[in-house]
Amino acid sequence: MQYVIIGSSAAGISAVEAIRTKDKDSKIIVISDEKNPLYSRCLISYLLAGTIDEKKIWYRKDSFFKNNKVEPLLGVKAIGIDIKKKEVAVSNFAGEGLKPSPANKENVKFDRLLIATGASPKLENIPGVDKKGVFPLRTIEHMTEIQAMLDKVKSVAVLGGGLIGLRAAYALKNRGKDVSVFVKSGSILSQIVDKDAAILMQKRIEEKGIKIFTGVAAKEITGDKSVKGVALDNGSKHACELVIIGKGVSPNIEIARDSGIKTNRGILTSDFLKTNIEDIFSAGDVAETNDIALGESSINAIWPAACEQGRIAGLNMAGEKETYEGSLAMNSIEFFGLPVISVGITRPKSAVYEEIVKKDAARNIYKKVVLKDGIIAGAIFVNSIENIGVIGALIKNKVDITGVKDIILEDYFDYGKIIPLIKKSKKGFREQEFKETILTL
Amino acid sequence: MKKIYCNIKKCLGCGSCEIACAVEHSKAKELNSTISENPLPIKRRRAEFVEENVAISTGCQHCDNAACVTACMSGAMYKEAKTGLTQHDRDKCVGCWMCIMTCPFGAITREKQEKQVVKCDLCPDRDKPACVEACPTKALYLGTLKEFKEILK
Ligand SMILES: Cc1cc2nc3c(=O)[nH]c(=O)nc-3n(C[C@H](O)[C@H](O)[C@H](O)COP(=O)(O)OP(=O)(O)OC[C@H]3O[C@@H](n4cnc5c(N)ncnc54)[C@H](O)[C@@H]3O)c2cc1C
Ligand code: SF4
Ligand code: SF4
Repeated sequence: MQYVIIGSSAAGISAVEAIRTKDKDSKIIVISDEKNPLYSRCLISYLLAGTIDEKKIWYRKDSFFKNNKVEPLLGVKAIGIDIKKKEVAVSNFAGEGLKPSPANKENVKFDRLLIATGASPKLENIPGVDKKGVFPLRTIEHMTEIQAMLDKVKSVAVLGGGLIGLRAAYALKNRGKDVSVFVKSGSILSQIVDKDAAILMQKRIEEKGIKIFTGVAAKEITGDKSVKGVALDNGSKHACELVIIGKGVSPNIEIARDSGIKTNRGILTSDFLKTNIEDIFSAGDVAETNDIALGESSINAIWPAACEQGRIAGLNMAGEKETYEGSLAMNSIEFFGLPVISVGITRPKSAVYEEIVKKDAARNIYKKVVLKDGIIAGAIFVNSIENIGVIGALIKNKVDITGVKDIILEDYFDYGKIIPLIKKSKKGFREQEFKETILTL
Repeated sequence: MKKIYCNIKKCLGCGSCEIACAVEHSKAKELNSTISENPLPIKRRRAEFVEENVAISTGCQHCDNAACVTACMSGAMYKEAKTGLTQHDRDKCVGCWMCIMTCPFGAITREKQEKQVVKCDLCPDRDKPACVEACPTKALYLGTLKEFKEILK
């Protein structure tokens, strides 16, 4: 048996660990175009902010590959998959200035393959994005390059008010820069939280000196070779030496193109995280899976989903029959001491959803659950987050919560309160740990 | 694997376990001086009411497939191979609250200032966890699931 894994981040690494719980000896080859891939992508903005030591971002030890008997091909790009011959074509020259091309490729054979190529930042389609001083924030290399020019930067423009844009803004503010964020839509974090939570967060962020402009987009990045500013679609100009683009990500599916592996926005997978091709699996930001709250195939490009999918795919590659319960959008965001966690659908677009809301302005608390037919489809908790995992369990297990609806947003709504629902539930709460807590009831 | 089980039939919800836990995880490890510590030590168990007169003392279940470990973006939450326990490494934790977001038992608490989390560690400095010893009705039990089922008989 020879396992090949393309991509060595959250999904790829989890897959290695899962395979090794079942198969201690077979060869595992990991292909990564990043030379030092064992860092946590989520932590690069923390590092940029200077709020953590560099050592904290290496979330697995240097010896990870050796300890797991992995043969790593680092700085190597996979450029094609031959599903008949069961081979991955790789270019050995990625990162050395040479473009991957059929002329300098080699083939790596596989018995089972995992495509965990993740996602790449979307770049703004405006003039000037190629100037010096324009960056996305996706890799440790981006972070190092941004860091290297900070001495010369006074002012920063962040294009996009999503998670990455705001994390970058926070980081650069922490580094003493003058930061302005330009958000095309009406509110920040519109993919993650609802309007009320966004307002609370925006207020906190602005109080700390980051400027946020909603309803404005950049139409050009100005300057000669280097950035001197951005021209906005409201006619005004904003001077800056650094531009961060936070416009979301798109899945790295090129590798599957023309291979026979089915794609939509991402690579399509079954409940076993297998693609339409036998022995080829996919996981993480590149994979489409069933979304529990939406009830349809979707990509949830988040760390926990990538890790869980990598784990399940790894187990199945090693011959298990593990089903993936599906993914759920979720995020934990804290800016300047105001923690916010959102799960599932938070901005329902149709009238079939019902919302229950609790506001406590004095304590800066805002909580909301979104229900459909008595079952929770999503939730947002601001500044009171400790029990949100319990709500997550109710979402995943599709429990009718009508009986506890009146108390669900109270501070005292904790695990104890859902025990009767667990006891009653026939299909849900399969994990042993739930059963153990109701043994004596 | 040994962990703490609660017999709901015996639990009064009195909160003795909570106090014992907080004291055990304080600097002074002794109630009188503990209450003047700043910040106050954090309990890692909660006596939670299920309904009137029915309560359960819960904390980290040291899940086999632990959601907190899967979600942790720094590698701070991990499964200890030898014991099967879910452990937390303060040197790695960045205070991102991903573990809180995913723990279905609500078993993790923030240390806000420190940007750290705490949860049940089964009292590494003791033979028997403080909560188990403190429970006046012996509702809490440290042992394997098999042993727990045995004593229920
Ligand atoms: C700044 C930042 C902050 C974030 N914060 C959060 C957060 O708070 N919470 C959260 O849940 N998520 C967060 N995320 C998202 C999270 O990092 C991703 O969901 C996660 O990394 C996805 O893991 P993955 O393994 O699927 O893909 P990736 O992490 O994208 O890794 C894919 C790897 O494969 C490599 N690769 C791609 N194509 C090829 C090829 N053809 N050949 C060889 N190698 C290839 C890539 O270079 C990369 O190393 C954040 C992301 C960023 C950038
Ligand atoms: S903290 Fe929560 S998810 Fe993690 S092992 Fe304990 S009970 Fe399970
Ligand atoms: S708060 Fe600490 S332990 Fe929890 S997920 Fe984040 S880094 Fe891991």
